[in-house]
Amino acid sequence: MTEKKALSAGLLALGAAGLAVSLIMDFSGSENTIRGPLLVIGAILALVGLYCIPTKKYHRSIINFIFLFPLLFAFGVTVIIPLLLGIGYSFTDWNGVVIKNVVGISNYTTMFRDPSFIWSVLLTFLFVIFNMILVNLIGFALALLCTAQMRGIGFFRASYFLPNLIGGIVLGYIWQFVFNNVLVQITAKTIGLQNSILATTGTAFWAIIAVYIWQYAGYIMLIYVTGLTTIPGDVLEASRIDGAKGIETLFKIKIPMIASTITICTFLTLTSAFKQFDVNMALTNGTGSVADFMGSYLTNGTQMLALNIYNTAISKNSYALGQAKAVLFFVILACVSILQVRISNSREVEM
Amino acid sequence: MKKKVLALLMASLMAASLTACGGSASGGGTAASEDSAGDTAAAAGEETAPAQEASGDSIRLVNGKIEVDSQLKKLAEMYEQETGVHVEIESLGGGVDIQGTLKGYYQAGNMPDIFVNGGASDFSNWEGMLEDMSGEAWASDTDAAYVDPTYGTIGFPYTVEAVGLAYNKDILAKAEIDPATLTGPDEIKAAFEKLDSMKADLGLDAVVGYCAEATNLYWSTGNHLFANYLDGGLDRDDTTYIDMLNDGGKLDTDRLGKFADFVGLLNQYSDPALLVSGTYDQQILNFASGKYAFVTQGSWIGATMTNDDADAYASAGNFEVGMIPYAFDTSVDTILTNSPSWWGVFSDGNTAAAKAFLQWCSEDEAQQVLVEEAGFISPFTSCKYVASDPFAQAIVDWQSAGKTSAWHWLSMREGLAQNYTGQVFADYAAGSLDRDGFVSAMQQVTQACYAN
Repeated sequence: MTEKKALSAGLLALGAAGLAVSLIMDFSGSENTIRGPLLVIGAILALVGLYCIPTKKYHRSIINFIFLFPLLFAFGVTVIIPLLLGIGYSFTDWNGVVIKNVVGISNYTTMFRDPSFIWSVLLTFLFVIFNMILVNLIGFALALLCTAQMRGIGFFRASYFLPNLIGGIVLGYIWQFVFNNVLVQITAKTIGLQNSILATTGTAFWAIIAVYIWQYAGYIMLIYVTGLTTIPGDVLEASRIDGAKGIETLFKIKIPMIASTITICTFLTLTSAFKQFDVNMALTNGTGSVADFMGSYLTNGTQMLALNIYNTAISKNSYALGQAKAVLFFVILACVSILQVRISNSREVEM
Repeated sequence: MKKKVLALLMASLMAASLTACGGSASGGGTAASEDSAGDTAAAAGEETAPAQEASGDSIRLVNGKIEVDSQLKKLAEMYEQETGVHVEIESLGGGVDIQGTLKGYYQAGNMPDIFVNGGASDFSNWEGMLEDMSGEAWASDTDAAYVDPTYGTIGFPYTVEAVGLAYNKDILAKAEIDPATLTGPDEIKAAFEKLDSMKADLGLDAVVGYCAEATNLYWSTGNHLFANYLDGGLDRDDTTYIDMLNDGGKLDTDRLGKFADFVGLLNQYSDPALLVSGTYDQQILNFASGKYAFVTQGSWIGATMTNDDADAYASAGNFEVGMIPYAFDTSVDTILTNSPSWWGVFSDGNTAAAKAFLQWCSEDEAQQVLVEEAGFISPFTSCKYVASDPFAQAIVDWQSAGKTSAWHWLSMREGLAQNYTGQVFADYAAGSLDRDGFVSAMQQVTQACYAN
């Protein structure tokens, strides 16, 4: 017993010392390459020491902690710490390199007084609503087609899903080429329109929606296909015997049976449409004008929230203001996520 | 027991892999020996190390002019052969936000030793982090270096560029128009009309290749064309209009109005297929093919015309080119010339090797490549080479006539062109704004930009 105690105490002490030395080396700006391995070895020793503590009472909680540690650590380093740092930056005049002053909430007041930002927020909500409806409708329609009994169905499923495998930036540039170089050739010959549809705000907005649906509907289709194939065959057979036709089966049997899938897909499209960035950036980079919005002439007609944050920070070099906008973005997305969890939980109880 | 051995093995493997990564990552940072060689006198005055000893040393340069990427790589190869110092050239450009990328590098601890800066606002990002190079031999050989009042000579100039209305000499000669007479908006308008009526005879698609597309070409309109409003016709040290702009985004209505009339002229006579939805490549290719008499790009297109578009340019007869001022008023009688950007040395990097490389770049051997192959107009007085670039002669002529202005658009608020004015030029081109609408929209958006 005492032997084990000594072992665990020794391991813990060694581990702590290793951690401390490596952290001190890092913060004091040492370039010595041993600090990385030392940190890892220290952490492992400390965990082994923790495991060896001779106790019956707390052994289970120690094991729980050791198993949870990697996840908690990764979550803390990649999510919690950046989030707190980001909130901190939003109260300063950080320019991406140094902080000169702490400015309080002035970034937040600037942000809400800026018509172009409010436009971006409203545009994003509009985009989300259109997409939530259209992507789900088209995805569901494709899923119905792809669960029909016909030859070569696997080929159709794969080809509808394929656009989702192409990255958004590449996709955006491909479609920019299509709109600016191909479609213009056609419209110039037929209706004499030399300007691409990306040149005006209204049409460019629809272009973004179309490209986004093209990219995302296949993915949603795949989830609906999975939902539709889980409907028990005997239920469908029973309804057929009772004389239900195609439309009746669809609305009275299929849709109620995949209600939970519909919820999942709705929220998937909701959150991903909110975070829309790459297609928006590659296709128009937020250009487009609005003649009069809240008394100003806007030049960011198709700029959605995520892109607005990016441009504020990167191209306008206002990192702190961009960070403040990102905090608002986080709040909106957090609300949506909580709502999603609530709704899917209550559904599960009902079923 | 077996399990414990396995676990120990895994742990040591992990540690070993970490050591390996750490070792290679720190390679750039630890090398800081003095490594100038050959006739490159060590600027700091310390002893010169032989080339062999310096081998394995390396520096990294972030270049903002992607069009001369291959020439710079050749330069790096020459330097490595001569001194053993490896120079890695990383070229960014063509709409990439270079400062944003550099900030990412800074956050990731991956800063290059030499990187490009476009002007006062770029340099202010790196306040106190750039080496003062006023002691270097090249600094006394040029007047185009970037000198900061507090931190000294922190920018190495590598070329001079010019912004003017570029023209095809052959076509103007065929149309019997003397470019020297195009000194005001009326004369230019008359010339445009004449050329427009002769389009079929001259093989022209349009009189002017002017593109106001806002997504990818905002810099052409919002920075370069707008630069003529800021500086056209002014003395090199005259900062009247940029000072006004930086004072809360004010624009001179009278001057802007005349400028708007001129832009309207460009809109009217430009190629409609290019005007709103065109691309840079298309614009340069068509000019190089002799389909436009004028093009609204600066001297940098010479490199594209003689490299990427060499075939089209040759079949159009390798015509001579020239530049006239964007004479939106008779008082505007200058083209704009400036060093477009400078190379700065990051003080936490491999500074000695970086400085030695820059010094070598200003000397004979490197200047020959930079001038004759990259087509740079040398900012160094000791340079004896003349670029074969089509625009080199035009720039030299305007410089020797003393008819050049500096450009100050680099001091504008960051993002003004990309997020605000580029779109207004596009709207004017597309016809959704008229001349007065353009003037008032310009005033409104610049104020909005400066208000944030």
